[in-house]
Amino acid sequence: MKSKTSTPRNPTVAEKLRHLLISQEGVLFVIMLVSVLFLATRTDKFLTVDNLLQQGRFMTEVGLIAIPMTYIIITGGIDLSVGSILGLTAIVLGWTWQELGFPLELAIITGILSGTVAGFVNGLFIVRVGVPPLIMTLATLALYRGLAEGISEARSARGYPEWFFQLGQGEFLGIPTQLWLLIIAVVIFGIILARTRLGRALYAIGNNETGARFSGLTVNRYLLFIYTFSGFMSAVAGYIFVSRVSTTRSDMGTGMELDVIAAVVLGGTSIFGGTGSIPGTIVGVVLIQLLKNGLTLSGVTSDATIVVIGSVLIFAILVNNFIQSRRGG
Amino acid sequence: MSKTKTSLVKRGPAHFIGIALALVIIGAYFLLPFVIQPERGPSTVAVVTESKKTNELNIFKTGVELIPLAGLGVLLLGAWNVIVPGASRAISFLMSVTGLLVVVYYINFFRDYAAGEATFISNMGSAFWIMLVAGILCILQILIPRGISERRYRITKLFGNQESIILFGLLFLIFVVGIANPRFLQERNISDILQGNAYIAVAALGMTMVIVTGNIDISVGSLVGLLAVISGRLVVAGLPAPLAWLAPLIVGAGFGALIGFLVAYLRIPSIVVTLGMLSIIKGILIIWAQGERVRDMPADYFLSQMRPLGIPMPIIIMVALTIVVVLWMRYSATGRAFYALGGNAEAARLSGLSQKRLLMTVFILNGVFIGIASVMYSTQFNIIQATPPPALELSVITASVVGGVSILGGTGTAIGSTMATLLLNFIRSAMIFINVSPFWLKAVQGLLILATVLADLIRRRRQRL
Amino acid sequence: MKRTFAITLILALLLALVAVPVGAQDRWDGADDLAVNPLACGMGDEMMDEGDDMEEDMEMMEYDGGMVAMGDDMAGMDITLVDVPKLVGIGYFAATTLGQQQAAEELGNVSVTTDAPTEANIDDQIQVIDSYITAGVDGILFAANDPVAIAPVLRKALEAGIHVVGYDANSEPDAREWFVNQAEFNGIAKALVDSLADQMGAEASFGIVTSTFTTPNQARWIAEMWAYASECYPGLTWLETLEAQEDAVLSFQQAQTLINKYGEDLDGIFAMTSVATPNGADAVQQAGVCEDVAVVGLATPNGMKPYVNSGCVRDVILWNPVDLGYAAVYVMRAVVDGEFQPGDASVSAGRLGDLVVVNGSEVLLGPPFTFTADNINDFDF
Repeated sequence: MKSKTSTPRNPTVAEKLRHLLISQEGVLFVIMLVSVLFLATRTDKFLTVDNLLQQGRFMTEVGLIAIPMTYIIITGGIDLSVGSILGLTAIVLGWTWQELGFPLELAIITGILSGTVAGFVNGLFIVRVGVPPLIMTLATLALYRGLAEGISEARSARGYPEWFFQLGQGEFLGIPTQLWLLIIAVVIFGIILARTRLGRALYAIGNNETGARFSGLTVNRYLLFIYTFSGFMSAVAGYIFVSRVSTTRSDMGTGMELDVIAAVVLGGTSIFGGTGSIPGTIVGVVLIQLLKNGLTLSGVTSDATIVVIGSVLIFAILVNNFIQSRRGG
Repeated sequence: MSKTKTSLVKRGPAHFIGIALALVIIGAYFLLPFVIQPERGPSTVAVVTESKKTNELNIFKTGVELIPLAGLGVLLLGAWNVIVPGASRAISFLMSVTGLLVVVYYINFFRDYAAGEATFISNMGSAFWIMLVAGILCILQILIPRGISERRYRITKLFGNQESIILFGLLFLIFVVGIANPRFLQERNISDILQGNAYIAVAALGMTMVIVTGNIDISVGSLVGLLAVISGRLVVAGLPAPLAWLAPLIVGAGFGALIGFLVAYLRIPSIVVTLGMLSIIKGILIIWAQGERVRDMPADYFLSQMRPLGIPMPIIIMVALTIVVVLWMRYSATGRAFYALGGNAEAARLSGLSQKRLLMTVFILNGVFIGIASVMYSTQFNIIQATPPPALELSVITASVVGGVSILGGTGTAIGSTMATLLLNFIRSAMIFINVSPFWLKAVQGLLILATVLADLIRRRRQRL
Repeated sequence: MKRTFAITLILALLLALVAVPVGAQDRWDGADDLAVNPLACGMGDEMMDEGDDMEEDMEMMEYDGGMVAMGDDMAGMDITLVDVPKLVGIGYFAATTLGQQQAAEELGNVSVTTDAPTEANIDDQIQVIDSYITAGVDGILFAANDPVAIAPVLRKALEAGIHVVGYDANSEPDAREWFVNQAEFNGIAKALVDSLADQMGAEASFGIVTSTFTTPNQARWIAEMWAYASECYPGLTWLETLEAQEDAVLSFQQAQTLINKYGEDLDGIFAMTSVATPNGADAVQQAGVCEDVAVVGLATPNGMKPYVNSGCVRDVILWNPVDLGYAAVYVMRAVVDGEFQPGDASVSAGRLGDLVVVNGSEVLLGPPFTFTADNINDFDF
């Protein structure tokens, strides 16, 4: 859009490519390619279709939650309660099914609904009462985990029927079932962020919330929506997680918020709001997952792996800052 | 400021009913334990132990049945006030809900009791709390009319900062829990809670400074774990204890300088840097320590167990550092510049302060405070675990923000963060003393954090009026 | 006004959610809905007799472990194993790793790497195991963070022809071949309760500091303790169970809270983790109530030496984790060599001699060991 109005002629393919390469996502993508190639030289087990698909299965939950997290961080907010919402959803699902005797389908819906409500409550307090997002979700991080513990009374629900595992452990057309969900979600919500009024509103809020309000955007409604959306996606991820590991425990998803935030900021979304994209986030999610897997496959133990991932996180942002500042300057 | 000066509500009969109900409920709350076990005082432990052993407790002689009736009264009064103008609608609504809870609770209790399955406290522990809430709401109902009065404005101004709110919350909590279970008030318990969490308070001081400048540090937990092991290993290797106490401060400052450099000069957001450092430091700790706990430290190493003048060392350090930081942030040029940096980075830059140097300073200071905290942590026990204390960063950040430090930077004080640390840990311990079900501990904690934050917001909104 | 009303409504709902169940239970007995199997009452050296009884029972149980898919016959050949404990970085699993390395060195034809998440997280553990399946090891040793959650990935390993042997924390039986059981749950429970009753009398009151209510091993021990205590020591009073994660400071504080809350009514603290026991002992020692409060718990000797040597703690109960890791590697070797088959009644494990098979597919390391001031300094792990 912008380039059309500012440049008289259409950019050539080479220019487009160059533009893409030095964008946030482009730089990160190059970093990812380099890491993948490097890992592939270390072990021939890494770059196989089976292994990559399996990694896709493992990263679905983080990927799904990273989408609304990108939206939220673009507006300059944050949601720390996602891991707890995931745990709460899992417990409500298992508890309503096993203790209250709900049919499993209904239990799934109840679980997802309760996760969505949890996100809605976050949004309501942030928008209506004006609690800063970090503080609100820090409180509900403890609260929702506590609710999950209290409801479950530390019992885990197991013994689900076979069909329930289709989503988490099955395959569809040779690709893990939940990966389809992730792909569809990424495409839809990527387009929504990049091409619709909603997306532009989120960037506007992130760049200047007061300005956005004065220019007539219904800021509150957008914010309420994205926090509810975050609760919903965490709930869906919770359902997938239960289906993948075949049991529910109240401590599920502990610490997940940091994994998600790391992936999102690695993907070039500025923590101060205003910039970021879904493709970037997904590259971030994939990069972390592949590093974890590839390093393990090439004989690096987990304790060293987390050192590498921490360094890559800082390094990638550093490189990006450098390139963007040169490009901008 | 005082543009909305509504007159006080006329005191109708409803208010006198309210006062009566409040008296009944609060009276019952305080007196009931005495009535049931007059010879052993109001200890809930005594009540439960006795009733379990003898099984002779006849609650119907004690007038317990008056309470659900009072609860019903609260319910009706609350409902009535929601409809009739003149009282705060929110409080009236809460009144009806708590009244309902009281009623439901006691119906359940009487049913279980009739079936012979109830131990007294297992069913009454939290009922006491609900009763108390109902009583307080009845009083608030009378005190807080809609709109704002001149008198209330003055009261708000006097006590309306987050520090006072937390202080009152803390005192109130100690008072109420102390009545429910006097053992909570014994000197040893209070001092245990104070000294056991002093290291969190010290780390929160550093965090407060970082947050005031508009940054954050989530690598605290890992760093405390690493520095503790460094200090322990040095002293076991034969270094004199004072040097082993000093080493974590220096290494902590080093890590702080590294983080500060990345944030200030390479312009990486602090959340990203410290998120990365969180896993880097943790990985280093695990690879280096190999799960090996540090033990056999010499006797003069245990700083936290020392008691100069009979006062536990951690309490002295916590109080002293809090005072120093409060004064320093208030009166020194650098301290005030932190606020300026968080409040408005542009203004800080224009006023001739070097933003980069300030950021370096704040992160190095934070590293030193983490170093002090890690010494307090590592000298607490005869064994130092080779793993970072789990989720310490969350406790520290929560303490800072509950203490009134605005996450957007620019406001907040050190004394608030210290008191918030104490409040949060008093809450954790108090809930065990009043027999909250262990499964619900975390949920209640979360709710109370939320309540504290909301109290702060409501205050700010009021003051803006 | 509408806004205030909406907020109040939510607050009230939350309050209702939390307040209603509060206080419904003041004691947690670890119930996880599995059957308990308390041992006969009595103290002392009857453990071995119990062992014999159990063996008779076991004869009746069929092998219920999983079956590995046919792979290459690796008998006598060099094999590569990966060991995936619950987490790395804590003393207990450092000790099992040490035992595995000792066994590998003795055998000469086994190499073991230990790799596990840095936090006891069920998902991370699954991912680590999955990566090693892809990398292609010959055998997997594991200590499960959750028995059900880990099962699918272990079944995948079996299907890929990788041998799977568990230790310390079990999975569903059909997801692995053998499980090296450090000590039966009821044996541990009996040893703990007996020790407390012996020190403080059969009328004692006690509290428990555990890791989390959801940790399977701890939940089983507490359930078995509950069953054993109510059968053999009905006079014991069960005060309260508190969570302390694997957190040193929290364990210390929870023990302090128990001491302060119950005062002279508290006679003993059971500490269910190797973190809670030393730090619980520290709390008792710092409060100066060593005489009045007995700390009985599961812990490694190195962590407990300061407290046992100072006389504050009398008994520490544990199996030898070094032996546990050692046995796991020997069992794995025997399985790979085809020397240890379903239906066998025992397996030879190097310096540990022959270990018996119980419960169908579990190899029993032996009765739990009690460390006291007399012997604790002989151990170093």
